[in-house]
Amino acid sequence: MGIRATKKRLLVSVAMGLGLALTVNAQAASKYPDIGPLPSVKINKAKAELGKRLFFDPRLSGDAAISCGTCHNPEKGYADGMALSAGYPGNKHFRNSPTVINAVHKNRWNWDGRLGTNLNDVTRGMLTEDYIMNMDMRIMQERAKQDPVYVKMFKDAGYGEPSNGSIRKAIPEYLKTLTSKNVPFDKGTMSASAKRGKSIFKGKAGCIQCHNGANFTDGKAYNTGVPENWDVFMDTDRHQAFLAYNQFMGVENYNNLKRDTGAHVHKHAADGSDMGTFLTPSLRELTHTAPYMHNGMIESLEDVVAFYNNGGGEDSNKDSRMKKLGLSSSEQSDLVAFLKSLSGDQLTGDKYVWSEEYPAEYEAIENWREVKN
Amino acid sequence: MKTQNKLSTAYVAGALVGAVSLAILSGCESTSAKDEGFKGSLNAVSKTAVAANASSTGFAPLAAIPANPPIPADNKQSDAKVELGKLLFFDPRLGGDASISCASCHDPSQGWAWAEDFSRGYPGTVHWRNSQSIMNSGHYPGSFWANSVTSLEAQAPSAAKGGVAGNGENDIMEARLALIPEYRKRFNEVFGDDFPRIKNAWRAIASFERTINQTDTPIDRYLNGDKSALSDSQKRGKEVFEGKGGCIQCHNGALASDMEMYNIGVPPATRWEEDGLAQITFRFELYAKGSNENLYRTAKADPGAYFRGKNKWDLGKFRTPSLRYTMYTAPYMHNGAFYTLDEVVDFYNKGGFDEDNRTTGWPKTKSDLIKPLGLSDDEKADLVAFIEAFSGDEILMDKPELPEYAPMFTLEELKEAKK
Ligand code: HEC
Ligand code: HEC
Ligand code: HEC
Ligand code: HEC
Repeated sequence: MGIRATKKRLLVSVAMGLGLALTVNAQAASKYPDIGPLPSVKINKAKAELGKRLFFDPRLSGDAAISCGTCHNPEKGYADGMALSAGYPGNKHFRNSPTVINAVHKNRWNWDGRLGTNLNDVTRGMLTEDYIMNMDMRIMQERAKQDPVYVKMFKDAGYGEPSNGSIRKAIPEYLKTLTSKNVPFDKGTMSASAKRGKSIFKGKAGCIQCHNGANFTDGKAYNTGVPENWDVFMDTDRHQAFLAYNQFMGVENYNNLKRDTGAHVHKHAADGSDMGTFLTPSLRELTHTAPYMHNGMIESLEDVVAFYNNGGGEDSNKDSRMKKLGLSSSEQSDLVAFLKSLSGDQLTGDKYVWSEEYPAEYEAIENWREVKN
Repeated sequence: MKTQNKLSTAYVAGALVGAVSLAILSGCESTSAKDEGFKGSLNAVSKTAVAANASSTGFAPLAAIPANPPIPADNKQSDAKVELGKLLFFDPRLGGDASISCASCHDPSQGWAWAEDFSRGYPGTVHWRNSQSIMNSGHYPGSFWANSVTSLEAQAPSAAKGGVAGNGENDIMEARLALIPEYRKRFNEVFGDDFPRIKNAWRAIASFERTINQTDTPIDRYLNGDKSALSDSQKRGKEVFEGKGGCIQCHNGALASDMEMYNIGVPPATRWEEDGLAQITFRFELYAKGSNENLYRTAKADPGAYFRGKNKWDLGKFRTPSLRYTMYTAPYMHNGAFYTLDEVVDFYNKGGFDEDNRTTGWPKTKSDLIKPLGLSDDEKADLVAFIEAFSGDEILMDKPELPEYAPMFTLEELKEAKK
């Protein structure tokens, strides 16, 4: 409570006047973990290589139609370029597909932050959610065992026989290879405009209050008032996934919901004040991942900055940090330039993407009667 | 060893009393105590004799099928419920990717089953067993080749959810129903649901299945007194069935099934040796049904009823299937090993071996009721003709027009909602 009250006061001052605001926010900025380059990660090559093949393999979904890479597409910054994700055949998704670049640097995942353990669990969720990949992992395991390429790769990676457990280890190992590369901000090659934008980000605009640390996220959930995307309710293919998810998460009266529940699904605040709160996302790789926000409602970074400048959207639960910022148009474009300087090279090509074909059919195991299953 | 005299369900017993004709002990070549009592001449006898015969020997004679299957007290039939169940039976939205309905594998034009050895599976998979017909399934005290569930209400969800069948989850299937106004209305009328509850979908489907019956077959007409209903060949076949062939030991009562479990020697599917997709499902099923490490590694045949109690003596046993409607449900056996009734009869005639002399993968549990029969070609032909007497005309059904999705709210309602 105390901390929250202090922050509130700080923001009130921001709104009061430019000069004052700058000083106050300079202090504010120092309270937050600083933004900076990401730490490097140790990667096991054989495991990551296996994970790469798995990530792009449609045989990991129930009806063998989609892979992780369908929704986390390398050409689209490992997002999918759409406001709302396609989802599993038979339904569509109700959220924007986020990038998985730098996912290894997070400690909470999904827009609502409902998973806070590790990427193994996130992978499990992706594989088994009925509206994402709808995979019975026991079938997945047997599919992997049927493919001689996997049998060898699992062995070479030290996993022994293919198993659903090691699939859920190998994919996160691959995700470790998907980290920002050649980012102007990390390399110190930002334009002058981007540098000015950085000060605004940490100062007058107060973005640092939530987007902080090396990965530009504090791992907490806030309501910024992003407008609802009515497609979630008007498109019955999406609404069914939304209902299934809220039912599964134990939200009461889910059939009557007319807004995205956000972090309420796991926080369950009795007064519903956590409705519509979402995890602060990372701001890295934004140039590749438009449109923005949990429901893709904001199309460009210019629009995002305008949204914040306007104090965010409308919502009775809106966070008190969301205030009109009074940024001039040149300040706004500096801020945009800064946001753009947080994106690096596309992670495409064989180093990141499995490009060899998957077999069209499962080879039969020869001598089936004689060999062990 | 066998338990075929325990005709445990009241229903089968009831069917006995309704029988007007039966086979009685004729004394021909009784080879063991177990066999006593079923060998039949075609002498018509009184109802009292039916009951007496059944209770003294344990084998229910063949009997006409009652008009309706038993209806559970907690799921009464109504026209509205059956009509709803019919829609749901044909509705692919009760499956994982909304592409596969009950009727996809229980296709009315394929004998309410699927005309391949293994049933088609959920997209991307193949099943590991032959699809069973829905015809008369309401008459069965249990479902599946291994008789592993005890009601149609319990059977439906396991079909809709199984990874190589419907691969659906309750939450999304229920959500889909909620988004179909016609279903909201019908579930409300039939079950009083505000929003359709998935368990009521299974109840409606079960009610629909209880209406898929065939009662006017030659054998029913014959047993009800119309002696001209069977051809001469079929009448001779009946004698073989009840006598030399010994079929009646297991295929008895109104369903021509004692609903007991046997290993009759059906050889393992050769498809497992050739088809990678089928190998995947085979291992998946071993794993999913709870094999120990040794069984998972070494099994090369379907363990069948074993999974129910994990008893070695149940390995490779399957429920005696009804012989009704089998004219339309080829291929036969739990794995579709035989494509014609002639092959089936040859198999029995050889004492449970196929034309390549292959037999069960679980020889230790093979029923000693299955032995070479020494049937002549004529006897075999008569027997096949008689099996056909268990089928009447083909019963077809068009896929009903399915109700459509509609958004639950209008845009205005959404916009007005307080945030
Ligand atoms: C049908 C589209 C789809 C597929 C397939 C898919 N995802 Fe996702 N993924 C999403 C969506 C949508 C979200 C956000 C979900 C939410 O916030 O509720 C997400 C979230 C994630 C996240 C969390 C990102 C973050 O920053 O919080 C990771 C990691 C992830 N997915 C990895 C994977 C992996 C690994 C696979 C394959 C096993 C996979 N995804 C398959 C759509 C998909
Ligand atoms: C109160 C905490 C908070 C503050 C302050 C804040 N953000 Fe955010 N930001 C969020 C949250 C939460 C989201 C996700 C909201 C959603 O999806 O509904 C977000 C989303 C974004 C996104 C979209 C990212 C994506 O991948 O879709 C961008 C860009 C962004 N913020 C930039 C900024 C900038 C620039 C500032 C300063 C002007 C700022 N934020 C201030 C919490 C904050
Ligand atoms: C992918 C194909 C497939 C789908 C879809 C499917 N079934 Fe089946 N069904 C089968 C197979 C195969 C069997 C035998 C399985 C076994 O014994 O293990 C079977 C068995 C049955 C039986 C048992 C009949 C008997 O003689 O005991 C009933 C009843 C049945 N299914 C009803 C349904 C209903 C209702 C649905 C929809 C909710 C459904 N099935 C969906 C393939 C399917
Ligand atoms: C010991 C009991 C027993 C005896 C005796 C027996 N059957 Fe069977 N019958 C079964 C069982 C059990 C099955 C299913 C076996 C399997 O799928 O592995 C079966 C399957 C069948 C089938 C296939 C039905 C279908 O839907 O696939 C036919 C036809 C058949 N029997 C006819 C006969 C005939 C004809 C005889 C006599 C020559 C006979 N049976 C004797 C128990 C018996």
